[in-house]
Amino acid sequence: MTNEGKTSWVMFVLVVLFTGLATAFLENLWGRPVPLEAIPLVDLAFLDTATVRRSYADLIRAKEDLSDFDCYACHEKSKPPVLRYDAKQQLVVPPEHSDIVMGHGSHGRNNNCFNCHNETNLTTLQPRDGRELKLENSTPLCGSCHGPTYRDWEMGIHGRTSGYWARNLGPIDRKNCVNCHNPHAPKFPGRQPAPGPHLLHPLTPAGIGNDHTATEPHPNPNHFTGGNGGNGDIAQSRNGASPFSPLLPVSFPGFEIVACPHDLGKPEPRA
Amino acid sequence: MPTSEPNSEFRVNPPGLDRRSFLRTSAVLATGLAAVAASLRPLLDLDDYTSVDRFLQKYYKELTPQEMDLVLKRIEREVEKQYGIRPHVRDLKPMDGVEFVYALNLTRCIGCRKCVHACVAENNQSRNPEIQYIRVLKLPHGSLDVEKAEHDYAPESVPEPGYFYMPVQCQQCKNPPCVKVCPVHATWQETDGITVIDYDWCIGCRYCEAACPYWARRFNFTKPSIPPERINPDMAYLGNRPRRQGVMEKCHFCIQRTRVGRYPACLEVCPAGARKFGNVLDPNSEVAQILRTKRVFIQLKEEMGTSPRFFYYFDV
Repeated sequence: MTNEGKTSWVMFVLVVLFTGLATAFLENLWGRPVPLEAIPLVDLAFLDTATVRRSYADLIRAKEDLSDFDCYACHEKSKPPVLRYDAKQQLVVPPEHSDIVMGHGSHGRNNNCFNCHNETNLTTLQPRDGRELKLENSTPLCGSCHGPTYRDWEMGIHGRTSGYWARNLGPIDRKNCVNCHNPHAPKFPGRQPAPGPHLLHPLTPAGIGNDHTATEPHPNPNHFTGGNGGNGDIAQSRNGASPFSPLLPVSFPGFEIVACPHDLGKPEPRA
Repeated sequence: MPTSEPNSEFRVNPPGLDRRSFLRTSAVLATGLAAVAASLRPLLDLDDYTSVDRFLQKYYKELTPQEMDLVLKRIEREVEKQYGIRPHVRDLKPMDGVEFVYALNLTRCIGCRKCVHACVAENNQSRNPEIQYIRVLKLPHGSLDVEKAEHDYAPESVPEPGYFYMPVQCQQCKNPPCVKVCPVHATWQETDGITVIDYDWCIGCRYCEAACPYWARRFNFTKPSIPPERINPDMAYLGNRPRRQGVMEKCHFCIQRTRVGRYPACLEVCPAGARKFGNVLDPNSEVAQILRTKRVFIQLKEEMGTSPRFFYYFDV
């Protein structure tokens, strides 16, 4: 081949190469942003700062219907109500009070209404020391048994607070026992958790949670779930590594492993 | 005229271009230029130019109050342009005699993740991709080993029997490794104990993210997306003003709230009252009382020597 022929050949290859590159750049074949999965906005209910229940004092303040608390609409003032017990010494809640679940204390011995309510005046509460407390002022009654918790509450280290930590700059809002605890069943109720973090690019079409379980190591040690781990930074590895693992693979924008061959056509193991 | 005779053995091109080489050169030149132009195409997609003001802005600690005012006005303009909401951006300084401490009651936390989303709403974090400062870890009873933690639990109801929950966020260390590694001093510890980030000074090298043993720092890989109706217009320069692509962010104890005396958002939303916050230098504050009266309180990964201002305690 002559010199001339060689040059032409090289030039031809270069022209084709450059044209290809130009097309690729114009078409943005690399670095095309992977479309993000839509993440639904969190339900505003999860941002609500209200307490889990409303106390009698709250109802009074809100000027709501208090007829449920009018004891002597049904009971007679002169006749203290009689309590009935079943064979296991558990209180039989009368049908009129069927909304009350007796669940105070896991030992089952706190089964007497008049441990707290005042037998002779149902509109008041009565701690064991003989004081009479209004229904809306139940906190000292709770404190008469729950000493350490009451001490913590007085210091502000038990229970909810909101408002101002700096007392000179604004008011602090303290909640009482019954704002969060149902006095008849004080164990804090379970609730639905707010949505967890989303993967940026879910590995499988079914998305999060349909992946390898946390306990089973993946057959391919280089396998990772691609994407930004739902937090825009570190990829979440679900094969046994926690978010704190120092050996987490980091993903790069535009470089996304969409699916690992080990994940395809294999039934998803569930713990 | 023997010299004008072309030599067939040693032929040289006549001076100037012949037709062939002209076409060849221009074809190569044209495609080359097209390739260069095409490679610059992504610049066309840029819509978030750095303004001259921002480019020439001085370091946070060197700004005079007048210059700071101009900066805050510029940020307000930028936010309004982007989200259509006129925010109120302030530069809040630490208070004298205040050192913030956070205490979280592991006995009480039920793992409901409300704190996570209250934080996102308060601090204008990106919703897609999600940036969240708080990660709630679900741990099996009998272990405080974060390697055993799960963070994407989604049961019907929490708490689940046999597990406890540990929310982890920036621990506001007294000895913060993230501050040490920052090559441009874009993050530093303030006198009230909050480690802050100047989002206008951050170069996005992510050294701090690598240095943090608590995985508390988040990076904006893409342009943050926040629906305008969910923007919190009460903003602070070192706090919750919207970030741009390529900068770090993290929990700052809700500077825009705590530096005016209020409680952080994650605390106010906690249904279980597991979160406590205050000035540890005030002996009557909740946190001071916790550290004084509680028999058990721990710092996460204390062996790192970071000395967090975030304590986990138990009801004893």
